[in-house]
Amino acid sequence: MATERYSFSLTTFSPSGKLVQIEYALAAVEAGAPSVGIKASNGIVLATEKKQKTILFEDCIHKVEPITDYIGMVYSGMGPDYRLLVKKARKIAQQYKLVYQENIPTQQLVQRVAAIMQEYTQSGGVRPFGVSLLICGWDQNRPYLYQCDPSGAYFAWKATAMGRNYINGKTFLEKRYSEDLELDDAVHTAILTLKEGFEGQMTAENIEIGIADETGFRRLDVATVRDHLSNIPQ
Amino acid sequence: MALVTKQILDTPIQHHFSPYSDNGGTTVAVAGPDYAIIASDTRLSAGYSIYTREQSKLFTLSETTVLGSSGCWCDILSLTRIIEARMQMYLHEHNKVMSTTSLAKMISIMMYGKRFFPYYTSTIIAGLDPEGKGCVYSYDPIGHTERANFRAGGSSGALLQALLDNQLGFKNQENVDKTPVSLEKAITVVKDAFTAAAERDIYTGDGVHLCAITKDGIKEFNFELRKD
Amino acid sequence: MSIMTYNGGSIVAMTGKNCVAIACDKRFGIQGTALADNFQRIFQVGPHMFVGLPGLGTDTQTVYQKIRFRQNLYELKENRKMSPKVLLSMISNMLYERRFGPYFVEPMVVGLDPETAQPIVGNMDLIGCVNIPSDFVVGGPSSDQLYGMCETLWEPNLEPDDLFETIAQALVNACERNAVSGWGAVVHIIEQDKVTVRHVKTRMD
Repeated sequence: MATERYSFSLTTFSPSGKLVQIEYALAAVEAGAPSVGIKASNGIVLATEKKQKTILFEDCIHKVEPITDYIGMVYSGMGPDYRLLVKKARKIAQQYKLVYQENIPTQQLVQRVAAIMQEYTQSGGVRPFGVSLLICGWDQNRPYLYQCDPSGAYFAWKATAMGRNYINGKTFLEKRYSEDLELDDAVHTAILTLKEGFEGQMTAENIEIGIADETGFRRLDVATVRDHLSNIPQ
Repeated sequence: MALVTKQILDTPIQHHFSPYSDNGGTTVAVAGPDYAIIASDTRLSAGYSIYTREQSKLFTLSETTVLGSSGCWCDILSLTRIIEARMQMYLHEHNKVMSTTSLAKMISIMMYGKRFFPYYTSTIIAGLDPEGKGCVYSYDPIGHTERANFRAGGSSGALLQALLDNQLGFKNQENVDKTPVSLEKAITVVKDAFTAAAERDIYTGDGVHLCAITKDGIKEFNFELRKD
Repeated sequence: MSIMTYNGGSIVAMTGKNCVAIACDKRFGIQGTALADNFQRIFQVGPHMFVGLPGLGTDTQTVYQKIRFRQNLYELKENRKMSPKVLLSMISNMLYERRFGPYFVEPMVVGLDPETAQPIVGNMDLIGCVNIPSDFVVGGPSSDQLYGMCETLWEPNLEPDDLFETIAQALVNACERNAVSGWGAVVHIIEQDKVTVRHVKTRMD
């Protein structure tokens, strides 16, 4: 059939051995809003920039999302792609719990989400996801922080930055990071990292923060974020 | 409409008669060298309903014999009444009370007499034989009988018989004194057995009625079981 | 005729103090006819974990293989040992997948939790309804007899040696009052530092 060739995967190797579709997807991530993740001794923090184009937007769509009671997620890149992955991640977590009557370990969730992302680089009729994910969780009495890329590659980090200006962000984290950071200090550092190259005034409304510790994962409300911001010299 | 009525009339309607009900209950009996004990729980039930929590299933037939029976309660009543009547006739005819061994045989024959419409019971009798030794006889619904040293019957029969084999018959035990147990010890084992049965069998519970038969007569005991 | 008692074979498991035990008879038969006295119904599935599969012989073997299949995948994927409670959930989930055409086994899991070393015994029905009591579980055609034995012989915090005596007496005496159970028995005592397997002689009739 003549249409058959269109049903092949769009992600095909270039003669030099690259998968340019994946590189384009990574470019989409790099153009996206920055996010930061930092592991502390007693928890993990996720933070992201959430600038609205106009003040007319209602503040009810979030970038930091809980997946289970103990796992949370944030992204850099394309919002719609992210929401699909959130939905899939939540489903994976619930399926795991249904079978084993136990919360899914963060690593298992990451592995399975990454497998889905990989599938979208090799299937017909689809394109890779235009997002990188930061997934953090608390299990087996310790914090975990992972990054998932559109290619399906995933990394375990002590601290990392993604999205626009991520190289500066990482350089900043390399300077500021220490192993025995407390969670509150980590939140502080995360905000400072976002501040690197932040255009305009940073407020509690245009960033979003989530933390995970032994009590579970939660998104910080605006008032708490404002408290954290007030500790930072303008 | 007429057609429907006609069809109903044409079809033979089967009526069902079920003459039996299972009212549950457990009986345990033990024979010793100079005593016999027999005990039953005091719950009378049908399906998931409890009729009463204080119906003993023991029937004192003579100074030396006590019968315990569980199964269909109406059959038990009927059976024991006829037994009592036959014992009266025996007394009048022979001018002596029936011995446990004679009773055992008579009950078997009476039960087999209803071979094709049996008394739906699991029956055990305990007492002293003419030599003064303890004896226990158990029956199936159609009169098969066997003399034994201990027996559990009724709804918890399966749970308790293995236990009695072990605790009173010393089955599978090594390096133990296998002389028959004392009356006190036998009562303790029977109590434990009922406690276990009440734990797992919904047709057994509420209380235990126990008769200890010795040459000095019949002593009765009552103790409580769980009531749920 | 019940499929669950077609091949005979009863299992009992008990908790003790920092130990657990599981025991089963070795008979395999077709209704009244005994065919083998070396049938395995208890399988080791971890350093401190065993499953017992009373029920139809063919399903005992099939379900054991399916359990191993899923457990191996889990342990490779997650790079950690399965705990008894997770194994119970997993088997339960597996059996419920065949809710309307079940395997005729009532699986039993015993073990020490890999993290806490807590003794666990659990079982389920043939479609996966899980039960995790603190004392003992029984299964197979001698269930009634085993309930009677366990309910009187078992007591809390039995030491390994006493636990062996208790479970062996419970099993052997129960099987003697059941026509399709017996023909030898095997007892496994699981402690933190060792697992003891003892074969028990019984009547062979």
